[in-house]
Amino acid sequence: MLQIAFYFALLSLVSVGGIPSVMPEMQRQVVDVQAWMSAAEFTQLFAIAQAAPGPNVLVTALIGWKVAGPAGGLVALAAFCGPAAALSYSVGGFWDRMRDAPWRKTFQRALIPISVGFIVSGGFVLATPHGIDWKNALIAGASAAAIFLTRYNPLWMLAGGGVLGYLLF
Amino acid sequence: MEPTPPKSLWELYRGFLSIGARSFGGVLPLAHRVMVEDRCWVAPGDFAEVLALCQFLPGPNVGNVSVVLGRRWFGPLGSLAAFAGLMALPLVWVFGLALLYADFAANPAVRAVVTGVGIAGGGLFIGTALKLAKPLARKPAGIAIAAACFGVIALGRVSLFAVLPVAVLLGWLAARKDLL
Repeated sequence: MLQIAFYFALLSLVSVGGIPSVMPEMQRQVVDVQAWMSAAEFTQLFAIAQAAPGPNVLVTALIGWKVAGPAGGLVALAAFCGPAAALSYSVGGFWDRMRDAPWRKTFQRALIPISVGFIVSGGFVLATPHGIDWKNALIAGASAAAIFLTRYNPLWMLAGGGVLGYLLF
Repeated sequence: MEPTPPKSLWELYRGFLSIGARSFGGVLPLAHRVMVEDRCWVAPGDFAEVLALCQFLPGPNVGNVSVVLGRRWFGPLGSLAAFAGLMALPLVWVFGLALLYADFAANPAVRAVVTGVGIAGGGLFIGTALKLAKPLARKPAGIAIAAACFGVIALGRVSLFAVLPVAVLLGWLAARKDLL
């Protein structure tokens, strides 16, 4: 539990853009390095967090729970949110004063391609729990196209994925 | 209409509780509706600025919004109340679902549906990233950095902690030379 708390606290500090940016790293650590669960189980936990209301950081609570029981869930969530929250708490005012500073705009532009690369990676590792095949390419491709092209609530796309999963797997 | 901040910690907590409880499929739209439109706690432009800051900071975006606005109105206790309100009901939901799933995980049909939902969720990430990438359409350097990040992280399985410093340095240099 200490291990997971420490690791999530570290991840917290680099999670610019929230959970999606650190999803590939979290999956790598939990599945490949620590072998706490399989890639399929990781994708299923993520599905549960997506199907509940609230911020998708809740997936950290599910991972913690799976690894170390209910207390582990709360510890993991707190470890992931705590450091970032402390940072937001302390820099809020500073950032407002820097609103027009040129380095801030440069930095923001620099971060765009990086978060794009990280988030696509997160989507990729979640969508390929058993390697790449036409089934997961179809489900992921359909939901990616739907969110990109339409303004429907993402819940519909998750529901569609559930139906396709039932039919295909 | 002039925005009026919440008058008590309890009102702040209740507001965020209602955001968390109803935010199926994404917290941000609901956070905007509750705080800007329904309760008129903050002006629309003000909300956009706080959000821009919180998207830039690490951590869950709306979670950070709750911390920053809670602090503005009631100090540290406000941050705690807002954050706890946001998380309380979703946490109950997600643990309830997980317990339910544990009972049915042996059923192949249930597992197939849940796996499908997870894969579709991965697809949502990809689609959302593509939306984010729109400003990069005419910026080959940006596309190259994004593609390189994907290559090393998703395919090469290199740790994000190793990739991030290099990527930030490259991004910074490219942005300085107006390539981004």
